[in-house]
Amino acid sequence: MKILVCIKQVCDSSETLVHDTDPPWVRPSPATVFRMNRFDEFALEEALLIGERFPGTEIHALSVGPSRVCTTIRKALEMGASHGIHLCIEKELYLSGEDTASIIAGYARDKGYDLILTGIMSEDTMHCQVGQYLGALLVLPCITSVISEEISPDDARVVVEREIESGRRQAFLVKMPVVLTIQSGINRPRYPSLSNVLRARSQDLETCEAEHLGSPAFRQKIAAIRYPDAGKKGTFIQGDSRQKARELLSILHEKSLLSWR
Amino acid sequence: MNRNIIIIGEHHEGTISPGTLELLDFSRALGSPFPEIILLGSDIFSLAENLAERTGCAVTLINGEHLNLYSAELYQKALLEVLRPRDERTLCIAFSHTSLGFDLAPALAHALQAPCISSVEDIEESSFVRSIFGGKLQSVVTPQNGPVVLTVLPGAFSPDRTPPEKSGHMRIVDVSVAPVSMIPQGERASEYRDSGLHDADVIVSAGRGIGKKENLSLISALASLFPRSALGASRAVCDLGWMEYRHQIGTTGQTVSPKLYIACGISGAIQHTSGMKNAQTIIAINSDPNAAIFSVSHYAIVEDLLSFIPVLMEEYTHPPG
Repeated sequence: MKILVCIKQVCDSSETLVHDTDPPWVRPSPATVFRMNRFDEFALEEALLIGERFPGTEIHALSVGPSRVCTTIRKALEMGASHGIHLCIEKELYLSGEDTASIIAGYARDKGYDLILTGIMSEDTMHCQVGQYLGALLVLPCITSVISEEISPDDARVVVEREIESGRRQAFLVKMPVVLTIQSGINRPRYPSLSNVLRARSQDLETCEAEHLGSPAFRQKIAAIRYPDAGKKGTFIQGDSRQKARELLSILHEKSLLSWR
Repeated sequence: MNRNIIIIGEHHEGTISPGTLELLDFSRALGSPFPEIILLGSDIFSLAENLAERTGCAVTLINGEHLNLYSAELYQKALLEVLRPRDERTLCIAFSHTSLGFDLAPALAHALQAPCISSVEDIEESSFVRSIFGGKLQSVVTPQNGPVVLTVLPGAFSPDRTPPEKSGHMRIVDVSVAPVSMIPQGERASEYRDSGLHDADVIVSAGRGIGKKENLSLISALASLFPRSALGASRAVCDLGWMEYRHQIGTTGQTVSPKLYIACGISGAIQHTSGMKNAQTIIAINSDPNAAIFSVSHYAIVEDLLSFIPVLMEEYTHPPG
């Protein structure tokens, strides 16, 4: 089996980002620390678990972005992916879910993947779209918010459960190849093993220039980036911690939620 | 030219979902108080008729024997039978940002060669406002000209509507779509129920900010101050295995509206706040002054939980003077 896992590098804290205005978007500062999007960690772990069930499975980890994303692709190799792919865009620019997916689809189209996995959403742009667009662009079924999957390799059938509102679950029967977007909590992402860390160190990444993989449609653009309206915020209780504690207790007391004094 | 707004309605167990009614308010904010509503299902004629009566909107019911169970494949095919011939007049096709909406919207947008903007919270002229970076920042997104497919965040608009003067028109479109590449196998209820969350007057919830599982004892201690209290959790805390999923509050967990909700170390991503923002009083304790949870809180306390909760307990037990 051949599995592609699409991973995104995200910043650990948006407070370290610099806001640009032309075009409006954010870019990292020297203080910005990057890591793998948590939802993609679950997708990668799920691929690794499938690989353990079906020996001989190839697991390719792919990321789109500037050269900084290579550290996250390496992290995927350290966790156990067999091959790393960097689809390179040198600029820090805003990509919609469709834009990202069209670059990935340009690469994945003729590679014969049986499964394409990715996290249900990214923590930074929060679109919740890339997997669905990949399915549409590659003309493959896509199931989102996946919380379990059971593969019968002989006939390529997969029974997939997706998590919907209030924890309810919908089940589907699909045939590979298929795109699955993975919900958090489906597994416990592992820590890299020493042997994989050593292996990853000597492994080369495959690099493709994104511009050679088809051009995104850029059907939407960011008009502005800003902080949420502070006016919507409630009352910040002031003082040192003891004063805050007293103030809070007296508010709870006044509202008859707690009897105090 | 009169531009249409089309709303894709949802229903569950014979009831129109609240998110669908919120989309009417969204449409009104876009300048179209009576959008067209599309419902999909199998033999739900009275539900569709009732919706046209209640809202005064034209309702198109796409009726098909396989449409009783959702699948992206079926619903997309069925919708395209109705939507494709009318692209030019359509300004916007709006879903709720639900498991159905976010699942279907991108593929539909792709088929219509339209942009897709998800989890929209507000409208600014011809642009749409949505949260990014866990709610710490907002982006204003402008789609290209032509139709746009949107998912609108549940709770961002009001589900209330004044009764219309006259009922909307209802039409039925029969479709004969059948599953090909994605065969629905049915639905089942959550495995996680009954954690006392619904009966509780007070819910004290833990987020990733509690740092480690052992610190849950502080959260329990705080909850124990209140007689009818229960423990809640963000999804992240359940994913880490610190609490069971039956305590999870939010989109894929439970929706609660207690008298008092205390969010401890919860960052406040929409997936969580959609499940608790209707609590009567919300108190958030977080060491990050910019945490998104503060924007849905009535009272905000910027403190480190691990030091603040013990001080709070002490002040409670030994009040001054």
